[in-house]
Amino acid sequence: MSEPAESGKRRRLSRRDFLIVLGVGAAGLYAGVRFGTPYLRLRLVDFLEESGGPPSNIDAPPDAWFEILPDNTVNLFLPKSEMGQGVHTGLAQIAAEELEIGLDQMKVYHAPTDRLVDPVGTSASNTISSLYTPLLELSATLRELLRAEAAKQLDVEPQELDLEEGVFRLSSDPSQQRTYGELFQSLDEWELPESPPALKTPSEYRHIGRPLPRLDLPKKITGEAIYGFDVRVPDMLYGAVARPETIEGRLISSSAGQAASQPGVIKVVTESDFAGVVAESREQAYQALTHLQLEWDAGRLWQQEEIEALVTVGEGRDVVIQREGNVKQALELGTLIEAEYRTPMAYHAHLEPLAALADVGSEGVEVWASTQSANRLRGAVAEAVQRKEEEVNIHPVYLGGGFGRKIDELAAVEAAHLSQATGRPVQVAFTRPEDFITGFVRPPTHNILRASLDENGQMLAIDHQASSGAVAFPFLPAIMSRVLGADFGSYRGAILFYAVPNKQTTAWLVDLPVSTGWWRGLGLMPNVFAIESFIDELASAANLDPIEFRLMHLPDDERGQRIRNALQAAAKEANWGAPLPNGHAQGLAMSFDYETIMVEIAEVSVENDKIQVHKVTAVADPGLVINPDGVMAQTQGAITMGLSATLLEEVLIKDGAFQASNFNQYPLLRNADAPDINVVVLNSRETPSGMGEPPIGPIAAAVANAIFAATGQRLRRLPLKIS
Amino acid sequence: MQLMINEEVYQVADTPDRLLLWVLRDELGLTGTKFGCGIGICGSCVVHLDGNPTRSCITMLSSANGVGVRTIEGLAVSDVNGKKMLHPVQQAFLEEQAPQCSWCMSGQMMTAAALLEENPNPNAEEIRQAMNNVYCRCGTYYRIRKAVERAAEINALSERSMI
Repeated sequence: MSEPAESGKRRRLSRRDFLIVLGVGAAGLYAGVRFGTPYLRLRLVDFLEESGGPPSNIDAPPDAWFEILPDNTVNLFLPKSEMGQGVHTGLAQIAAEELEIGLDQMKVYHAPTDRLVDPVGTSASNTISSLYTPLLELSATLRELLRAEAAKQLDVEPQELDLEEGVFRLSSDPSQQRTYGELFQSLDEWELPESPPALKTPSEYRHIGRPLPRLDLPKKITGEAIYGFDVRVPDMLYGAVARPETIEGRLISSSAGQAASQPGVIKVVTESDFAGVVAESREQAYQALTHLQLEWDAGRLWQQEEIEALVTVGEGRDVVIQREGNVKQALELGTLIEAEYRTPMAYHAHLEPLAALADVGSEGVEVWASTQSANRLRGAVAEAVQRKEEEVNIHPVYLGGGFGRKIDELAAVEAAHLSQATGRPVQVAFTRPEDFITGFVRPPTHNILRASLDENGQMLAIDHQASSGAVAFPFLPAIMSRVLGADFGSYRGAILFYAVPNKQTTAWLVDLPVSTGWWRGLGLMPNVFAIESFIDELASAANLDPIEFRLMHLPDDERGQRIRNALQAAAKEANWGAPLPNGHAQGLAMSFDYETIMVEIAEVSVENDKIQVHKVTAVADPGLVINPDGVMAQTQGAITMGLSATLLEEVLIKDGAFQASNFNQYPLLRNADAPDINVVVLNSRETPSGMGEPPIGPIAAAVANAIFAATGQRLRRLPLKIS
Repeated sequence: MQLMINEEVYQVADTPDRLLLWVLRDELGLTGTKFGCGIGICGSCVVHLDGNPTRSCITMLSSANGVGVRTIEGLAVSDVNGKKMLHPVQQAFLEEQAPQCSWCMSGQMMTAAALLEENPNPNAEEIRQAMNNVYCRCGTYYRIRKAVERAAEINALSERSMI
């Protein structure tokens, strides 16, 4: 890619809603776009307050950047990270829709921070939903600017031109034509329209809504795609950093010892709270690390039971986050049912550990990293090497899994620190044990639910108390914690959407000695596990079918209708209620997260205390579907990851340390135990919602409910274990 | 010492006790083979040594001495005109849109290619068992199984040998 140069050409930057900046580079012209709409800004605030986007400076809007080459190739530079969720393809479909080009004409790249800064990061399932309308408007505007220029050059009226795959042709004489690439080359001046052109209606879409193949896969299946761990530059060195053994471990003194004289060692850096080695090879760096003289303060040697006791409803601070009617009074009527649920800490287990390569030079700082937030990395690296943010350029590359963990800037900061110390590029790429000990985990949770039922099985009242360690607050300015009180990341999924006249949700938050934070879906999986298990318990107490019980409690509005449709589609697809093989049973759970509805039905059996999930049927309704195969892939993937957490995963603390430091002690679900997952995709609205996280919500409860149906045993704690 | 990788000769430093993974990735720049755990569990680092699927993160360079090494970079072959032809496994993984982040996929595909070389018509259970020791955190197991089935079909239709 070539750098955009300053243009001598005239610009008009007048429009309120967005700006297009032109510049002439060696390879073509560029159109960079700053989305500055009040609409988008409102959405950003919304994400932060309600749904758990990562911390950011919300004053700066996110951007996208187009480059149109003479051969009519459109390069789209995006500030969103591709970590397997398929967003580069989805966003390309959206842009191509209004640009009227084929997907094969478009290439998508991660934008480095010297081009674009995205303060939000890639998280909270918001990429498609936040960029959908701006990208459509931008693409349509660009198309109409090009049309006006074509009309001017051909001396005709714009409406006399037909447009096909980036080529304008005169209707009356198709030999008269101009391509996007030609028009970009010869452009003198653009005047932006006062408002964006009329957009297509969804029924006119030809790219959106189709299961187009992922644009990033051809290079991924040949091994050519470059991830954070893979970046190689001339003269690079390898860094290794000393790590504590305990969660509160702190370096109190360090000296080089014999490390400096070990083979391949270029530099030893020992400071009061940091010790690292730079060597010619990775193995040499790690080998030399063992020769440092280090003194650690292990901190308090916490035990698992102590941490679990901290996370208990009634401990810490509480905020009522939902209140309708009078729950206290209504709970005294009818039949009272109460249950409590727990989920453990969990590790992301992204298969590419954190990795970054930094080159701290006199001119500037270049960093390559697999990151969910290039902007966050830029700020952290700038601070670490005491440079201005503008001097730091982060090149995001493909992520080998993210799941929330790759918001972390540690590897990049350490690589920059060691590069500064040596004057050469340095890679810091964690071992698996380093990735465990330096990380943050999904916080443990404790939920108590109470409800009263009338004689028909109708809920009179429901009360939900959700206790958790923090998710978002550790990553936000301290003021947010004081202003908001309850951590929106922790209580994600805790709000009760069923129609009950009296309902209340209280979020309890406790401080923990373990670092806790973002994990796919944040509080969604723990909270939905509790709520949807409890709904199943209520249905059972009311002697009603779990679907029938849910249908009795749907709101009488568009949302309720969508949920009804999804439940009915799931029942049909899974043959709900039909005879099953001996010992098998089905369980159902659902969620409403952002505007995405998920219904999941698990078919389970239990033999010799082993839980076997044979099949999962899911219905996904994300509103408007951009790419149905992408929706299916995210649903299958998140359900499989969720099953791993449902059946196997827990991070345990012993004597102040994580008991597990690698996959021999932290097993994940494997292929033979992973069920076939059949997905029905519903297209119900005119705008899209997210798909990255919502499908992980219901699966734990679906399995627990199926186990109850199969065995009569109610499991209220993850990972599920038959006792 | 010399290594034969993807039918090409590479000169590498004479470090027989160095792990093959880091020689491939750091010394030779063949970064298609991935690191995941370093203890031979996750399978992201699988390569072939004389056709056998092998975890390069726990394999010494000395074990690669005198044997044919194949990595993901060598799974596709060039035809007589120099045009790259995907291996049936790669083609099938693409057709089924199996990869998500794809970090594990070179290990998955190398494992699948070795399976089909040994057993060109595996049944569903044989596929499950053969693919059971390669982790995928994005949760693509179901699509991986479909892709391996599809690769066997493509292979049966093609004239060309698998490896």
